[in-house]
Amino acid sequence: MIHTTFILALGPLCPWLMLLLGLQALAGLCRLKTRGWLRLLLLAVVAAGLLLLPIQSVSIAGWVRGLSAEFSIPLTGLLVVAVLETEFRRELFSNADWIAAWAFGALGGLGLYPLALGWGSFDPYEWGWRFSPLFVASALVTSLLLWKQSRFGLLLLLATTAYQLRLLESANYWDYLLDPVYCVTSLLALAVQLAKVARPAASANA
Amino acid sequence: MRRTGVRWFLISAAIALNSLPLLRQPHRSPQFLLPAELPSQSLPAQPEPYFTQELINPDSARRMSHVASICELPDGRLAAVWYAGSEEGAPDVAICFATQQRGQTNWAAPQAILTPQRTSRELHRAVRKVGNPVVFSDARAGKLWLLYVTITVGGWSGSSLNLTTSADGGLTWAPSRRLTLSPFFNISELVRNRPLPLSGGGWVVPIYHECIGKFPELLWLGGTEDGTSATKSRITGGRSGFQSALAALSTNTALALLRDCSPRKRISVARTGDVGQTWSSPQALDLPNPDSGLSAVRLSDGRVLLAFNDTDTGRENLRLAASEDEGRTWRRLATLEDEPGAEFSYPYLLQARDGKIHLVYTWKRKAIKHVAFNAAWLNARQGQPSG
Repeated sequence: MIHTTFILALGPLCPWLMLLLGLQALAGLCRLKTRGWLRLLLLAVVAAGLLLLPIQSVSIAGWVRGLSAEFSIPLTGLLVVAVLETEFRRELFSNADWIAAWAFGALGGLGLYPLALGWGSFDPYEWGWRFSPLFVASALVTSLLLWKQSRFGLLLLLATTAYQLRLLESANYWDYLLDPVYCVTSLLALAVQLAKVARPAASANA
Repeated sequence: MRRTGVRWFLISAAIALNSLPLLRQPHRSPQFLLPAELPSQSLPAQPEPYFTQELINPDSARRMSHVASICELPDGRLAAVWYAGSEEGAPDVAICFATQQRGQTNWAAPQAILTPQRTSRELHRAVRKVGNPVVFSDARAGKLWLLYVTITVGGWSGSSLNLTTSADGGLTWAPSRRLTLSPFFNISELVRNRPLPLSGGGWVVPIYHECIGKFPELLWLGGTEDGTSATKSRITGGRSGFQSALAALSTNTALALLRDCSPRKRISVARTGDVGQTWSSPQALDLPNPDSGLSAVRLSDGRVLLAFNDTDTGRENLRLAASEDEGRTWRRLATLEDEPGAEFSYPYLLQARDGKIHLVYTWKRKAIKHVAFNAAWLNARQGQPSG
């Protein structure tokens, strides 16, 4: 019962963080320069209030939950980092940490989704239900990142811990590591990073 | 020095946590449970041909009734479920449940047991539509299982699977539980056909995916200490065959007969020899399929019986065919329906413990029809031309 309640409470966390990040951006556009815990608390309450607004007698949080299943632990962690970095202007993740996060989301998603959606007879999603190469790969990637002192490695460790505690509705390890929103965001973020790298190179050649 | 210690601790934790599933590996693979191995299974000789037919819900106030399934309760009653409402996918569609007393031909008044509103409350998420219920009875545990799909937005490709159970023969149902079976927003997982019981108390349920691809999958349900475990495996990928009907041939072997959504318009068959762990590539049979649902059951005499729309252009007829060589060749036995312009679709076959064969299907989209017959009736048809 406590476990079920916890899972239910964890469900709206990611949409709430997304909304909070959006409100922070909006506050920035409106030139609200006062930052800190008080503003964060205020925006957090507004975000929670918006998620509770009903549409056809179901809250927006209920609609998001109906449409999106659950969000992965790395995406949730990255949103927490983004919210805190935006609010307090402190670097919690280095550029290398962010690139590791986007590379994991992009490569993992590209490896999972086309096959899981029916491209061929092999479904890698099956690997998430029992001990499989997925667990070996995850242990290797997490260990490597932790050895390199990447803070993204801590998020992967957190995802594995959450899987062992079954903190999401899903019992599949993939759902703790990846979700489609994280994958698409990662692809876009990597494309932006590549464009940034390519631009100075193009300017130098010109 | 201290940082290196922390690093090693975290790396050890990562390796240990990723190794834990090794301890939870199943000790033994389950096997298909054949009818003769089910409890209280007895097949008395029935020399006289037996055939009855009736509408389950002839006076339904709901304009549309569709996609039925049937099972036998531990006390010998039959239970059927289907969905009904103003039209397919409408918000007023509910999942209906009715029972038939043993030895009678009339059905009790149907009850709407699941609505979008109720499932929305139970699943703590928006649900606009419900559909495709499949009911099956676990005589071993005295429990009735019901799988069904819910949709939040869009059409059938946006479906998710849900499970509820009843411990009192369908009078009351436990709160539904959403099954997470797809990494892509957990959508496009549907159920339609009859599950097979497994040794050890579990079930394998033919499910299917229809989003970018259309392909058949298997849902493995098993009892665990903390509830019911649900995992999934794939029969084949692609976009040609889906909505499989399973027929177990032995404790290890089974057929999956597939609905065809390719221009070929032929039923295809895939085979497994290792309890569904691996499957052969589907091979087309010489039986047409107009991209419509079909049902199969292995009878207690070893034949595999198939109910299908015997045309490649519509759902205007419904026929029975049987195979005596494990699905390699088929012989048409009987025409149950044939009316130009009408629809007879989504058959669902079951052999009860007394040997009688039950078939439910959508009758003109207005009602659900139940047909019951025995092996003697089938045998009598074997010598006659079908049609």
